[in-house]
Amino acid sequence: MSEKLYKIISKVMNTNIEELNDESSPSSISNWTSFNGYVLLDELETNFDIKFTIDEAMDVKKIADIKRHLGNHGIVLND
Amino acid sequence: MDYEKPLSEYILDSQKIDINDYEHKIKLAFLSSFTINGLSESLKVKCSQKQIFSSTYVAGYNQYNQEILDEKSKLYSFSPDITFLILDTRSIFGDLFHFPYSVTKLERKNFVDEKINDLLNLIKKFNETNTSKLIITNLGLPHYSPHGIAEMNTSYSFHDAIIDFNKKLKDNVIEMNSVHIFDFFKFVIKHGENNVFNFQNYLFGDIKIALDYIPHLANELMPYVISFLGLTKKCIVVDLDNTLWGGIVGEDGFDGIRLGPQPPGNSFMEFQKYLKALSQRGILLAINSKNNFDDAIQIIREHPHMILKEDNFACMKINWNDKVSNMKSISEELNIGLDSLVFFDDDPVNRELVKEFMPEITIPDLPHDPSRYSEVIQSLHDFSVFQITNEDTNRGKMYFQQKQRTESKKHSTNLTEFLKTLNLEIDIKKSDNFTIPRISQLTMKTNQFNLTTKRYHEEQIKKFSEEDKMLVGCAQIRDKFGDNGITGVFIVEKTNSNEWFLDTFLLSCRVMGREIEKAILYHIINEARKNNVKRLKAKFIPTIKNKPIENLLPDSNFSKENGFWIYNIETPFNMPEFLTLRVK
Repeated sequence: MSEKLYKIISKVMNTNIEELNDESSPSSISNWTSFNGYVLLDELETNFDIKFTIDEAMDVKKIADIKRHLGNHGIVLND
Repeated sequence: MDYEKPLSEYILDSQKIDINDYEHKIKLAFLSSFTINGLSESLKVKCSQKQIFSSTYVAGYNQYNQEILDEKSKLYSFSPDITFLILDTRSIFGDLFHFPYSVTKLERKNFVDEKINDLLNLIKKFNETNTSKLIITNLGLPHYSPHGIAEMNTSYSFHDAIIDFNKKLKDNVIEMNSVHIFDFFKFVIKHGENNVFNFQNYLFGDIKIALDYIPHLANELMPYVISFLGLTKKCIVVDLDNTLWGGIVGEDGFDGIRLGPQPPGNSFMEFQKYLKALSQRGILLAINSKNNFDDAIQIIREHPHMILKEDNFACMKINWNDKVSNMKSISEELNIGLDSLVFFDDDPVNRELVKEFMPEITIPDLPHDPSRYSEVIQSLHDFSVFQITNEDTNRGKMYFQQKQRTESKKHSTNLTEFLKTLNLEIDIKKSDNFTIPRISQLTMKTNQFNLTTKRYHEEQIKKFSEEDKMLVGCAQIRDKFGDNGITGVFIVEKTNSNEWFLDTFLLSCRVMGREIEKAILYHIINEARKNNVKRLKAKFIPTIKNKPIENLLPDSNFSKENGFWIYNIETPFNMPEFLTLRVK
C-alpha cells in the first residue's frame, strides 16, 4: 500500500520515487506547489475511494501526514 | 464517450511536448476570475493530439481586469491568437451571489446592467489593443436559491438575473467578429453542477471547476482552436451495413434490415438524423461500402425509413473495391484532402485498415452498441466553425449539382464545348459585412487553387477592406445547374501608383477547371488599368497541395522577374467568351 501511495505522489509531483520518504514536503520536492497539493489529494481520493475533510487537507505538511490521514479512513499502509 | 484521464496525467504529459514535433502552431492566453491551473496544460495536450503545438500564457489569479486594461501587460506582449476569459457567477455577482434578496428587484436589474457594461468596456479595450480572438464564458446557473421553491414565484429572481446577464452578453457580442461566447452554462448542464463544482476544492483553493472536470473543459475549448487554424473537417464518409442500418442488405434483404421507428432499427434512424443535420450545416456526406450497388441503392432510394436520401450524398462508392481505394476516389472526386475526412464504420478491421494506410483521416471508434452511435457524433469537435455561412448551408446541394455536371461532362466531346453549355456567370462582389466571413473562410480552407495560401481571419479581412491601399473582392459563380455561392477571392495590395501586388488569389475546388480564374484576373487587370497602374505583380508560393494553380501566371502571360511574376497592364487580356462577368 505504501508503494501505491508513493507511486501516486511520484506521478503527480513528477519526481523519482527513490527521492521520496515520509519526511518529503513542499520544501524538499520542487513540484509540490499548492496547486499540485490539491491535485495530489484529489488523486488519492479517487485511488483510495475516500474523501478527506478540509481539516485533513489543510493539515498535510509532509508525506507522513498523508499516511496518518489515510489511516483515519481505514487505509492501512504496510511498509 | 466522456472518459477523461486524471488532471495529473495531463499536467505530466504537457511537460513532454516538444515544439518541433508539430505541424500547426497557436498561441493561447488564459484569463480568469478564479484558479484555473491545469487548464492550459490540458489544452496543450489536447492540441498535441491534433498535431498542434500551443504556446500558452496564463495570467495571474483574478488579474483579468489589470491584464486587459494595461496596454503594456504581459498578455498583450505575448500577442495571443486566442484569449480565453473564464468568468464565474460567484465572482461576478459578489455578495449578491449569497444575498440576492438583500436588494430590490430594480437594484438586481441595475446590477446586471452595470456588470454587463463593465465587461463590454473591457471587451472594447481588448479589441482596441490587440487582434486576438476573445472567447468569454457565460455564467453557470447554480441550482440553489435562498428562495427555494419560491424562486419560481419571484419576479426578476436571482436565477433570472443570471440568465439575463447571459442573454445581454450574447446580444452585445453577437455582431463582433472577434468575440465569441463559450457556453459554460451548457457545460454545467452537460456534466452536472454537483460534479463540476465541489465545495472543498472551492473553499480550499478557490477552484471553481472541480479538478476532474478541467480536462473536460479543455476538450470543449478545442473547437475554437480547430476553427481558428482552419482544421475543420469537411466530409463524413459512412459505411452502410450495420452503420446506416442494422444487418447486411446482401444477406438480410430489403425487408430484413433493421431500420425503422421501433428498436433496434430506431438507433440507426437516430444516427442518420444526426448525420443529416450536419449535412444541412455544410458537412458533406459520402458512402464507402462493400456491397452490391443495386441492393444498397434500392434501400437508399426506396426504404421508407431511410432519413438520408441519395441527394444527401456528395459521393457514393458502393462496390467491391477495397475501402482504401474507395477513400482515395472519394477524396479525388470531392477535391478535398484526406485530412478533411471523418470515417464511420462499425467494423474495427476496416477502421484499422484505413487508419494504417491513411493516418490523416479521423476515424472514431464506433461502439458495439448502435444505440450509442449518436453519442460519438455529439462528442466530435472536428466540424466546428466560428460562423455558419450561406455557402455552408447549401454545400450539400451544390455538390449534388456537381455530380450532375460531371455526368453532363461525360456527354460532351470537348471541354470548351462542355463549358459553353454550363452558362457560367461570375458576379464580382466587394467585401462587406455579408461577404467578409466567407472571404475569410475561403482563405482559411482553400489549399489547391490558392496562389499564396495566406490565411486571414475575419478581423484581418475587415481591416484590409477598410484600407484604401487594399482591394478585397470575391466572386459568386452560377451556372445552369445552380448557384455555387462565393467561391473565389482576391486581395490586391496597391503598392504604389504604378504597381499593384496580388496578395491572394484563390478559387474553391468546387469551381476549378472552368476558367473562372480568367474572368477574375480580367476584372483585376481592368481595375488596375482604370487606375493607370502599369504592372500587376504576383508571387506563386508552392505548397504540397497547390500544384493545380502553378501554371496560372505563366499561362496568363505573366513574365518572371526576380522571383516574381509581372503582368504588363498594357497587354490585352482575353477572357473566354463563354463566361459572363458582372461587377456588383
